[in-house]
Amino acid sequence: MCEEALSIHGLHVRLSRDGRASTVLDGIDLRLTAGEVVALVGESGSGKSTIGLALQGLLPAESLPEINGSIRISGQEVVGAKPAALRQVRRSLIRSVPQDPMGALNPTMTIGRQMQESGIERTEALEWLERVGLPDPQRIAADLPHRLSGGQRQRVLIAMSMAAKPRVLIADEPTTALDVTVQAQILKLLADLAREQDTAILFITHDLAVASQLSDRVMVLFGGRIMELGDTQSVVDAPAHPYAAGLLSARFDLTSDRDRQLATLSAEAGSEKLEGAQCNYAARCPLATSICTQRRPDFAKRGENRLVACFNSDRVPELLSSRRETPAWPHASPGEVDALELFAIRKSFASGKRTRTEVLSGINLKIRLGECVALVGESGSGKSTLLRIAAGLVTPDEGDVSWPGGDLPQVVFQDASAALTPWLTIGEQIRDRLRPLRLPKAEQNARIAEALELVGIDPALSSALPAELSGGQCQRVTVARAVVVPPRLLLCDEPISAMDVSLAAQTLNLLGTLRRQMNMGMLFVTHDLAAARLIADRIAVLDKGNLVEIGEPDQIISAPAHTYTKSLVSAVPRIGASIKGA
Amino acid sequence: MAVYLLKRLLGLVVVLMVMSFIVFCLQSIIPADPARAMAGPSAPEETIQKLREDMGLNDPLLVQYGNFVMRLAEGDLGTSVRTRQPIAADVLRYGPASLELIIAAMLLGSLLAFAFAFLQSIVRRSDGIRVLMLGLGSVPIFLSALLLAYFLWFKLGWFPGNGRLDIRRFSGPTGFFVLDGLLLGRPDISLSALRHLALPALALSVPIAVSVGRSLNSSLIDVMRQPYIRTARGKGLSASGIFLRHGLRNAASAPLAMLGLQVGLLFGNLLIVERVFAWPGLGLYTVQSFATSDLPAVLGVALVFGAFYITVTMLVEIAQSLADPRIAL
Repeated sequence: MCEEALSIHGLHVRLSRDGRASTVLDGIDLRLTAGEVVALVGESGSGKSTIGLALQGLLPAESLPEINGSIRISGQEVVGAKPAALRQVRRSLIRSVPQDPMGALNPTMTIGRQMQESGIERTEALEWLERVGLPDPQRIAADLPHRLSGGQRQRVLIAMSMAAKPRVLIADEPTTALDVTVQAQILKLLADLAREQDTAILFITHDLAVASQLSDRVMVLFGGRIMELGDTQSVVDAPAHPYAAGLLSARFDLTSDRDRQLATLSAEAGSEKLEGAQCNYAARCPLATSICTQRRPDFAKRGENRLVACFNSDRVPELLSSRRETPAWPHASPGEVDALELFAIRKSFASGKRTRTEVLSGINLKIRLGECVALVGESGSGKSTLLRIAAGLVTPDEGDVSWPGGDLPQVVFQDASAALTPWLTIGEQIRDRLRPLRLPKAEQNARIAEALELVGIDPALSSALPAELSGGQCQRVTVARAVVVPPRLLLCDEPISAMDVSLAAQTLNLLGTLRRQMNMGMLFVTHDLAAARLIADRIAVLDKGNLVEIGEPDQIISAPAHTYTKSLVSAVPRIGASIKGA
Repeated sequence: MAVYLLKRLLGLVVVLMVMSFIVFCLQSIIPADPARAMAGPSAPEETIQKLREDMGLNDPLLVQYGNFVMRLAEGDLGTSVRTRQPIAADVLRYGPASLELIIAAMLLGSLLAFAFAFLQSIVRRSDGIRVLMLGLGSVPIFLSALLLAYFLWFKLGWFPGNGRLDIRRFSGPTGFFVLDGLLLGRPDISLSALRHLALPALALSVPIAVSVGRSLNSSLIDVMRQPYIRTARGKGLSASGIFLRHGLRNAASAPLAMLGLQVGLLFGNLLIVERVFAWPGLGLYTVQSFATSDLPAVLGVALVFGAFYITVTMLVEIAQSLADPRIAL
């Protein structure tokens, strides 16, 4: 029974970027038995996706990978294997389910043919499509990928991988690009299939709650090194590494305290890669002592099935209890003045030659100054269109948009690096908003510095280009740009959906604080009900272009009136709520 | 598909109408007098007047245009002043030679483009090849044609550089000599025709190879980075299978459009190349018509080229929709 599906021993990977090589994985050891699910948890940049690629021998050639150590899949060595042997391993022993199903299928080949490339017959392909819960397999097999939804494509990709009956399946954040209501179904499907076929799953995620729902064991990764490895339940209940503890306390769900700011991991000071004889996490660690910067902690056994790389893991429990106290939100004084008035907004788009699809059918919404309304809904519910109309970027077919007080709202977009002009320094981009005020240069500079400090960015970085900043810093810069001249209304379009937990918590804290300090009205579009509940005074639920529910967050969540709202509430991942089934 | 073809055919008619109108206006505006040109410079005034009357040149413009279109509809492009033949007959006579040359140039150009793009994007990026392509792209065609003729024909004698065949007075059923040789069981004719095709086709193919090659190269680089290529690799497919089934087809659209554009715009070059290599096709015919201010012939050929361009565009669109089934015709 305890047949070994995968064994990684002393895996070191160095990758080059722009001619500079850096260590991405530094001594990874892991064994997976058949049918076991191990979650690989860490922030972006922790190297978790690199492990997945290294296992398949798919590290991009242009990054000149240097791989040391050993990876054995069902006894077959992958490191240094010949191309033909490697192809054989990929064909029959290890498969993967990608993060973004939208781009992972060939757009010009039918689903059926892509399935058959996995080495199965057509009838078998149809059986598999049915097994992963797709309606009408015949039709889907003949279809091209663009006619399927994201969830359906992910099911196709799962079917394609599992049809090969691999020993190991790598699932790299397989649900982050999907709607919340679909995520749980996909995870359950993966878990069920893996158990049936005795496939071991390496489940890559940044969310400990999702990991806890699915996995038997969890491996916490930071800066290419393992921080903690143990049974999921015990790690979640009592983390023994300060980083794991930080990840846990930074995540928020429907029970987090709404009156206080969220706990966060200490800032991104540790983003510069540390190599050599010290603890990787020392720069960010609240428990760091002098020994942490002198020696690399051994990977030591703590209790049963538990390995931790930390000198101070005895002090982690006290860290956990002290973490509970976070600052309260600043005092807000919402008035009776409106910042945004939407009246009977209708909008339709052409969906074919002659047909039009109504995206918004008669939306009424008012946001007061200093108030935050969160708009939640599935993709396709029309929430982004509504935000664009509120921003004045799209004109509605019918209805009125008004911004009492005159000035146009500011928008914070989901993809911050795309919202910044790549060849202008961030200082210049913030200055653009000050230009109409015709202030003297010195005062402009002072206000730019002030705005950057407000969002927690060193004002010295105002001469940096966007590419020199991390994704989280870029998002802060777009916020600084939006508030350097405080707008009466701030619109946020899924600003945290591409972020890992601790970064998301930091951004929520920032936006929640700023809108209270500056008394801005705020429309916060998201698909994450937990985030909506934390940031907003009211939640508005949008379903197929209709506002089906609007009210106090806790009221909506404790007693959702609409079926769609109910499914949203149940879709929020909770720690320990296993979906593995019996 | 049938609806698409019908639509395109209708479009073709509309474009031809517009072109014919422009051609007609040009004919009326340009001060060259077809009657005078036909009768000769020393003809007496009455003859010319009579000729003008016969040719309908004294009718109101609208009537003239109506007649012009009616004649066009019957396939009558007018009469050449120089050859004194119906222009339609001239087009049928010289057209196959040009078409054969264009097809050869297109095939050769596509082949070179593919080789270039494959080497650059799949095998190994080389700055040498890039500079070479850039250099080739920047040589004007009259120079490259002359250089090819000078070195490969005149100096080295590897390929003939004059006419379509070594023998004179050959005529085959189709006018495409490579094909005719095969049809008539004369492989020597085919071979000779191919050898004669080599230099002019090569000269014409250079701009095609450079532009299509660059387009294919950049789309291949882009496509091979797509996540579905990683999916395909993850399935353990062979490199050639990934390239052919998942890479090339998805990269085909932009270079196909470029190919259509280049073939459509090839006529300017055709005039030069046919002139340099004494290729008895429509290009040479046009050059000679220019020299004798044979306006009806020039304008007739312009109409034929216009129709050809539209047909090529249509073929490209069909090819694109075959490569990418998401493009519905």
